[in-house]
Amino acid sequence: MAPSIQNRITVLRAERGLSRQRLADALGINYQTVGYLERGDYNPSLELAFRIAEYFGLPLEAVFSRQPFAPMSSQLYAKEESA
Amino acid sequence: MRQDFRVPRSNQVGSRQSRRRLLLATYGGWLLVVLAFRLVAGSRNPYAVILPVFVANSLVLFVWLTRRTYLNREVLVGDAGLDERLVQNRNQAFRRAYQLFAFAVLLGWPLSWAAMQLEPGSGYMDAFLIYSAVSILGLTLPTVIWAWREPDPAGPEPA
Repeated sequence: MAPSIQNRITVLRAERGLSRQRLADALGINYQTVGYLERGDYNPSLELAFRIAEYFGLPLEAVFSRQPFAPMSSQLYAKEESA
Repeated sequence: MRQDFRVPRSNQVGSRQSRRRLLLATYGGWLLVVLAFRLVAGSRNPYAVILPVFVANSLVLFVWLTRRTYLNREVLVGDAGLDERLVQNRNQAFRRAYQLFAFAVLLGWPLSWAAMQLEPGSGYMDAFLIYSAVSILGLTLPTVIWAWREPDPAGPEPA
């Protein structure tokens, strides 16, 4: 079984107020695939991963990671403290 | 809610548990047909009993596989309309189905030959049943494997 790739699609989608269907339409993928991506049941191809990152206007590593993501809030506050 | 809103076909896939139950019931139904066939094989006109049961079972199988899941429609179409995950799943299902079908054929040939040799009368019926079983597997296995493996659909989104 392929190692799971972590992603922030759920958070990013919620931030932008997007439904799964709308995101699926924008990416040209099946509605269920969005759900499986969010749940970590499916690892996207590199091409699809880039498409998702580009859609959200973020670098690939901000959307996908091989390690569990730290909460965004902790990363934000860590940056503010170091500044 | 808009009147023209329709649930996407891909959302009608149902839970994996319900799909697995459906498939087991479908193949179980076919086994019942075989059992009925064997029970009335010695009667005067067994086909009068078996044919309606077989047709009814085939209809149920056809309706279940085509109406209750969207998968059967997708399994034989080209890549159009399928995203990379669905193409990958379909290809995996075809690969596994071919392996199982080849195994069933290799098993079915000697079995049907042996049935005809050992019991010249009812052996032909047994050979016909084996042939039918292999045919049904050949027609349904890709869909069945895909339906068996496809994970549960994503839950409803919060309003």
